[in-house]
Amino acid sequence: MNKKNQKDVYGPIVTKKDLHKANYRWLMSVETYNYETQQGASVAYALSPILRKIYKNDDDYVEALDNHFQYYNTQPWLAAIVLGACVAMEEKQGLAAKTAINDFKVGTMGPLAGIGDSLLMTMIPTIMGSIAAYMALQNNPFGILLWGVLIAIIFFLRMHCFEFGYRQGSKIITEYGDKINYLTEAASVLGITVVGSLIGSVISVTSPLKFQFGKVSMQIQPMLDKILPQMIPALLVLLAYKLLKSKKLSMTWVILLFIVIAMFGAAFGFLK
Amino acid sequence: MHFTVLQIILLTLLAFIKHIDYYGIPMLFVNYPVFWGLFTGIIMGDVQTGLLVGGTVQLMSLGVAGFGGSSVPDYGTTAIIATAFGVSMGKSAGLAIGLPVGMLGVQLDVIVKILNGFVAKKAKSYADAREFKKMNAVTWLGPIFFGLSAAIPVFISVTLGQSAVNFILQVMPKWFMSGLTIAGEMLPAVGIAMLLNYMPTGKLVNYLLIGFFLAAFLKVPIIGAAIIGFAAAFSTYKQAEKEGQARAAADAANVTSGIGEDE
Repeated sequence: MNKKNQKDVYGPIVTKKDLHKANYRWLMSVETYNYETQQGASVAYALSPILRKIYKNDDDYVEALDNHFQYYNTQPWLAAIVLGACVAMEEKQGLAAKTAINDFKVGTMGPLAGIGDSLLMTMIPTIMGSIAAYMALQNNPFGILLWGVLIAIIFFLRMHCFEFGYRQGSKIITEYGDKINYLTEAASVLGITVVGSLIGSVISVTSPLKFQFGKVSMQIQPMLDKILPQMIPALLVLLAYKLLKSKKLSMTWVILLFIVIAMFGAAFGFLK
Repeated sequence: MHFTVLQIILLTLLAFIKHIDYYGIPMLFVNYPVFWGLFTGIIMGDVQTGLLVGGTVQLMSLGVAGFGGSSVPDYGTTAIIATAFGVSMGKSAGLAIGLPVGMLGVQLDVIVKILNGFVAKKAKSYADAREFKKMNAVTWLGPIFFGLSAAIPVFISVTLGQSAVNFILQVMPKWFMSGLTIAGEMLPAVGIAMLLNYMPTGKLVNYLLIGFFLAAFLKVPIIGAAIIGFAAAFSTYKQAEKEGQARAAADAANVTSGIGEDE
């Protein structure tokens, strides 16, 4: 690719430098993690200088910020690619693309978390961690050094994700057009499958309840497991889903309700 | 075991940096104990103990990672405390102090994530009030809270020692401690439910069931479920593309016939 082409990829408003800076601002990623909007506040923090450049008018700027303050949660390293693509959409279409941007972000959350959490956050630490640990036990820091080099390489790549996402993002919009709709639909399928597996694996609440019939004591959890493994987590998600869907309770109240249930569960011993 | 003032400052600072790194800035050593054991060893002037303790705790923590907002024990803090005490007391005694504090990390993590709810709300309300500088500034409370959630336990441990750690653990009501642990395990359910609310769950509930079945019944790890999901996504894409092309062709045919009628 020649130099001129490379330059045309950016702009008219957003420069390569803006995007490069956004990589560093997005390091905020999980630092604002909360049970209501997860990483939403960090997305707003990361994008705010770029959004300010795109939206000169205060009202538009606030509307765009509020769009990004919404719920967002995925593996942050890969998220930078999606957020870079969002910048491209935002620059080209402005607030008209507000809903599309959020759909795109939400639709890619599941797949990115699935790939990122298993590959980057589990596989690498398991492999490199066991190598580094076994060598460290023999008083040899070489394994740690090796892992450190890999971490440095990944960090270097991470600090270019916004630019990469932006370039791909403009391409997706300008060249592929409605392919993005098919992609979003396909991504939703992948995302929901992964979310389903999260319900079956991440939440690990069980019940230690026991019933005593004379001399025979019967534990509840093995019975539940025979009917449906991971039944309590599935019911908890269903309960939260229904409560949030009905809009009778806000996210904050659902969270408080769950904390109260957890405290009661611990105090009276029906949850573990 | 007594620490010098300089050691106390450096160890507390190390824990503070560790947790800010863990949650994003810059997310290099993601609470991996083998690194934090080594760094503590360097501060204490005993790299060998740092490697030994760090390696031991790293093996204990293999496969432990907080996904989807779940809280996990703070093995990085365990490595720092166990190394700091282990230098003179030996590895086992160090771990005896470090492990309970690390377990406490689950509860502290839940508390910070609740506090961060207020930080995120405040940032948004500053945005709505057009106080953009304050919006950006208040966001920094998040990393500070996370940093403190590791720095305070380490500071208390190294200043007051083992007896203080045991005392605090005994004074806390048991239901409160285990209640926070259970809450940490339950709250990802709310996050997942929120995610499902944003996605076309009603339309695609069959895939939700497939994913759940894979994990709950077959114990397939997430990457395995992602492979099945990708396979399904691939055929969905092909199908949608085919339908889209058919629609486009039909539209084109309508347009030509429309032109024909005009003439």
